[in-house]
Amino acid sequence: MPAPARTIDTSGRLCPFPIVETAKAVKGLDEGAVLLVIATDPGIAQDMPMWCRATRNEHLGTFREGPAWKSFVRKRARVAKGAAR
Amino acid sequence: MTSRTVKAIGLVSGGLDSTLAVALLRRQGVEVKAVNFYTGLCVTETQRRKGGRADGTMPRNEALRAAADLEVDIEYVDISGAGYLDMLVHPKYGYGANANPCVDCRVFMMSRARQIMEAEGADFVFTGEVLGQRPKSQRRDTLRIVERDSGLTGRLLRPLSARLLEPTLPEREGLVDRSRLLDISGRSRLRQMALAEELGVADWPQPAGGCCYLTDEAFARKFFDVLDAREASGEGRRIVQDDVVLLSTGRHFRLSPRAKLVVSRTEVENALLERHVEGRARLAARDEVGPVALVEGEPTWEERVLAASIVARYGKGRDRAKVAVEWREDGAVEVYDVEPVRDEALVERLRI
Repeated sequence: MPAPARTIDTSGRLCPFPIVETAKAVKGLDEGAVLLVIATDPGIAQDMPMWCRATRNEHLGTFREGPAWKSFVRKRARVAKGAAR
Repeated sequence: MTSRTVKAIGLVSGGLDSTLAVALLRRQGVEVKAVNFYTGLCVTETQRRKGGRADGTMPRNEALRAAADLEVDIEYVDISGAGYLDMLVHPKYGYGANANPCVDCRVFMMSRARQIMEAEGADFVFTGEVLGQRPKSQRRDTLRIVERDSGLTGRLLRPLSARLLEPTLPEREGLVDRSRLLDISGRSRLRQMALAEELGVADWPQPAGGCCYLTDEAFARKFFDVLDAREASGEGRRIVQDDVVLLSTGRHFRLSPRAKLVVSRTEVENALLERHVEGRARLAARDEVGPVALVEGEPTWEERVLAASIVARYGKGRDRAKVAVEWREDGAVEVYDVEPVRDEALVERLRI
């Protein structure tokens, strides 16, 4: 995995707060930078890929490590939204 | 129709109606930002926090799933604080069948949505509400109340029922084409299902009869018990965030107006109660496997013994003549050597 520009530890926080914290952290990143999110809420494995899909950030992977999960997200450049598909 | 980008804030639960509302507006080229409010009272969320359903499956976060499927940005907004809890206790428009002040709750959420609309420079707010679908909060009169009291007059669009309602400002200003909105009303979901097929919305949760604890009869009993007990003790009717977590956890017993016992039902609930020990007494059998329990308030000595006897009843020592139950409070430990309660009628009388 690429070296993260920032790491946030959401251990102990439950759904939806790991995602809330992720959203806040990604806002402060440069485009292309990687965020590492550490979480103990098992929902992160399901939620992070969906959040990335919704917000068009790149989900690089979520891995279990002992009691915690590590999730890597790359901030994508914003694209124009709202166009009918 | 306007040529500029139109932006809207959509309240998205991930259910079929809110998903369709998003899809309908996106079809008109509206840029949508989805908002999902965290109240701390969502049944599915609590199931997830407790490790999933009884069958071992983990419920999905439907709002997130819908936003991902529709490729719309989503923001979680935490409204579970004191202002929201105060509204739950003192609803201007009263409760539904249980502890659900749906109209006031909608006003609260729409007011926050209006703030987000203003901050984002969006043109309007929309929801998946359907006229006549719910007995209290989705009547024509209550839809109007919510719009007025939230400060969203003219700026709150319900795309699924829009053609049955007064045209909103975005419709009158040509930001949204009213002729491409719908006139759905009532509880049947047949039209929504047909629309889902037409719009390519393939994945949505089955309606589960409400995802909010406040509409649950057992939860409501416990909710009003807390308020009544606080009022009786002179504290006044109020509820705090800690109460909300505990109300959806364990078996609850009212020992007296001054004291309540909460006994966990599972290992996950044991862990959850352990996180709420502060300010409460923690009870557990000393020598046998059994539940963790908390006592709130100021129990008398007799009520302490009763609480310990109830805790003993739910542990592995339930068939023993005596069980040692540890009572930990403020760093001190007492042991109560009690007979597990076997009087079912007594237990049921105390159960909230």
